[in-house]
Amino acid sequence: MTAISFILALVGFGLVAPIIGCLLAGLDRKITARLQGRVGPPLLQPYYDVRKLLAKENVSVNRFQDFYIAMSLFLAILAGVMFFAGGNFLLVVFLITLSTLFLIVAAYSSRSPFAEIGAEREIIQVMSYEPLVILMTIAYFLAVRTFDVGAVFGLSQPIIVSLPLVFIAFLFVLTIKLRKSPFDLSYSHHAHQELVKGITTEMSGKTLAMVEVTHWYENVLFMSWVGLFFVWGSWIGILVAVIVALTIYFLEILIDSNFARVKWQAMLKWSWLVTLVFCTINIVVLIMVS
Amino acid sequence: MATIGLLVVLPLIAAAALFFIKKDSLRTPVVIGFAALIMLACVWLAIGHLTGTMEFYPLKSQLITYATLVIDVILGVYVFVKGIKHGVPFASVLAGIQTAIVVVFELTVAHGVNIDNDIYVDSLSVMMAMIIGFVGSGICIYALGYMRVFQEQHKDQPDRRHIFFSIFFLFLSAMFALVFSNNLAWLFCAWEVTTVCSFVLIGYTRTEEAIQNSFRQIVMNMLCGLAFAIALVYLGAAGILELDKLINLGAIGLAAFPIALLAFAGLTKAAQIPFQSWLLGAMVAPTPTSALLHSSTMVKAGVFLLAKLSPAFGWNFNGMMVMLIGGLTFLICAFIAISQSNAKRVLAYSTVSNLGLICACAGVGTPEAMWAAIFLLIFHAVAKSLLFLCVGTAEHHIGSRDIEAMDNLFVRMPTIARFMALGMLTMFIAPFGMLVSKWATIVSIADTGNIVLMLILAFGSAATFMFWAKWLGKVLAVAQHSADLEKGVSKSEWFAIGLMAFMVLFCSVAFPFISESVVVPYLAQFEQFVFPGLLPAWQTISATLGFDNLLIMAIIVLAILASFAVFFGRSKKRIVPIYMAGVGVDSEKRSYRNSLSGVSESSQRNWYLEDWFGEKALLPISNIMGIVVLVVGIALAYINLGGGALL
Repeated sequence: MTAISFILALVGFGLVAPIIGCLLAGLDRKITARLQGRVGPPLLQPYYDVRKLLAKENVSVNRFQDFYIAMSLFLAILAGVMFFAGGNFLLVVFLITLSTLFLIVAAYSSRSPFAEIGAEREIIQVMSYEPLVILMTIAYFLAVRTFDVGAVFGLSQPIIVSLPLVFIAFLFVLTIKLRKSPFDLSYSHHAHQELVKGITTEMSGKTLAMVEVTHWYENVLFMSWVGLFFVWGSWIGILVAVIVALTIYFLEILIDSNFARVKWQAMLKWSWLVTLVFCTINIVVLIMVS
Repeated sequence: MATIGLLVVLPLIAAAALFFIKKDSLRTPVVIGFAALIMLACVWLAIGHLTGTMEFYPLKSQLITYATLVIDVILGVYVFVKGIKHGVPFASVLAGIQTAIVVVFELTVAHGVNIDNDIYVDSLSVMMAMIIGFVGSGICIYALGYMRVFQEQHKDQPDRRHIFFSIFFLFLSAMFALVFSNNLAWLFCAWEVTTVCSFVLIGYTRTEEAIQNSFRQIVMNMLCGLAFAIALVYLGAAGILELDKLINLGAIGLAAFPIALLAFAGLTKAAQIPFQSWLLGAMVAPTPTSALLHSSTMVKAGVFLLAKLSPAFGWNFNGMMVMLIGGLTFLICAFIAISQSNAKRVLAYSTVSNLGLICACAGVGTPEAMWAAIFLLIFHAVAKSLLFLCVGTAEHHIGSRDIEAMDNLFVRMPTIARFMALGMLTMFIAPFGMLVSKWATIVSIADTGNIVLMLILAFGSAATFMFWAKWLGKVLAVAQHSADLEKGVSKSEWFAIGLMAFMVLFCSVAFPFISESVVVPYLAQFEQFVFPGLLPAWQTISATLGFDNLLIMAIIVLAILASFAVFFGRSKKRIVPIYMAGVGVDSEKRSYRNSLSGVSESSQRNWYLEDWFGEKALLPISNIMGIVVLVVGIALAYINLGGGALL
């Protein structure tokens, strides 16, 4: 990662990611509506929502919450910039975890019983997907021999070839990361299964707008992790990556529409089990081959 | 050389003086004075040796050797008598056997062994000395204020604080001796002094529980002392009684068995599974004791020995044993910490868990792993002492050490809560120290391709996030109206907490520079690490973790701190009550007017997931696994000795 790549990523990811994230969110609502036999809102509805949130009166339950949320947003952007600058994959993972921690602390700080349950569930979610994320970075290292994301462009074949099972396990926990049913325990876009408003119960106006935007950035970053598996030293790789990422996103919407929220026990058990089995097999094979 | 002597003697003088000082007004200046002197001596030592190469000093003092023998005997007799008095004959038997072995050994075998260098100093021991000097003495100062309140709250008990402070400084002296001894007999003596010191400190309150737990500690640590003594006998017979020579032999052939025994001793002292219960039991002691045992002494002696022996570990049976025990402990204790609501027990399990990670790194034995082990050790020492001191002070003012009672601490004790949050962040989240060290652990384990440790690390880290995050959340919760309970925290407590917080921040920011100028050169001097065809140690470390990445982390730490300083709590928004399914009545109690016009109170506890991660669910099986690994590991080392003629 050089200074130039950092600046390019800063401008690129900082400006383009929210647009893509917003469009993805709009697409999500549109497709979901069609799956349910509704017309659905306009594509730009997420943008209109955020614009309206920004115009709301500035109220808060304490003087600290919006700072935590701002930090959460800042760190999510930083994580994305580090990723697109070709930086260290583990660093990216750590930054996005810190971003989530700030969201959790923001919910706790309100001291609302409803937000606290949301925060508690968010912690369980982190605990469910964190092993996979760490193992995925290790597997990435074993396949590429460096933690630097930029190294994929020097490969002769995409890492999906050596890490197919890790990829499947990643898809499993991706549902948690994208806050999709059945694993949207802490914060759901489906009102009927939500406890007041989950982790964001006490957030409003600009603060809630920041949460939404953070979510856009995060989604783009996570979809790029999907793409990472399909990129190699050719420009076709980027095309493949984009197509695969869009397909996976559509798949996630399908899953989201077809499942109800599960209990945390099921989420924790299944995501750990899938991580354990798939990653172990894949990594052992990888070590034995090399 | 003189500074090392000073570091051992200064606390010793303090211990002797404090034993006779029973007036609080006189004790305060003495403790502060000696603490300051010890810190100064540490700085002086660091200036001379922090970045230097290993230096040896042939002291060849028969006097000290005899003195250590006398101390060994006194300790043995003391434990023997205590064991008889309190009806724990097993402790007496262990003390008796151990003392007999040591006396016979010293008077017969050891006499004939030539020892070139009794004392050494290298970067690792200087860093340990800094930890002992600053963290240890800081805790002594903290104890001044804490023990005053403690005594007021326990008026029915006689004032035995002079013993308490005396033992504290004796402890420090022994620790200094431990980190500079190259002569294994001297090292053993210091080792045993720390064991007995913590025995006395754990039993300080003299309640039934305290005495029971202190004996659990002494039995387990006498076992480890016994292993150490047997290792001495084996090594003495082979004519090697120096640490550096032992490490150079490596863990195969002749040295396999004694190194396995020393590893066992280190693991026991570091409270690894199946011996974790002694450190948990030690939680009955006053908080400064816990802070001292966890951060700078006792358990750190265990991991220090393992870190020293680390070049001899790696892909051999001993390395495997240490790696597996450490990994198992890291995972299981992180799980169990989720189920604990007592703050001190969470801290204890987190300590054991982190020490497990350090042990695992020491067991891996590559330069990257050692690098990680050293930084885990440093950050754990400063952050954990900060946390213990905060919890101790909070406990005195809110009257509970339960995490649920720390809800809303952010408003009730604003400064303490902020320092506590700093300590927690340092313990479990990047870009703060512990996690960056864990990053290096991940790198080193990925490098060795050890799938078991990879899995352990991934799942253990997830559990670590869980138990810290939910505690952090509780502490940072904000009620709109609460009384400030922070008045009356003594100056000595504030000073010590401030000192720890400063060290945490200093280490987090200076991390890359400490790495580059102290730790990497230290690792580079080991010949074992330079394999033909491979890069020397310092280059592999730079290649995998990278100075630039460390620098990025340090900059992010600074950025986060700066944003807290500038923006935190500056929001100008109108403050409104939270949504409570009814009009709020009392924000601290979270009560509201319900649909029948009565007042309802809502309560929300954290999740502890007892059925999944409780002690009952996990401890029996993991203890059995731990015992099996230790027995098999030591047995394999023994067989290697019997059949192996590698030397």
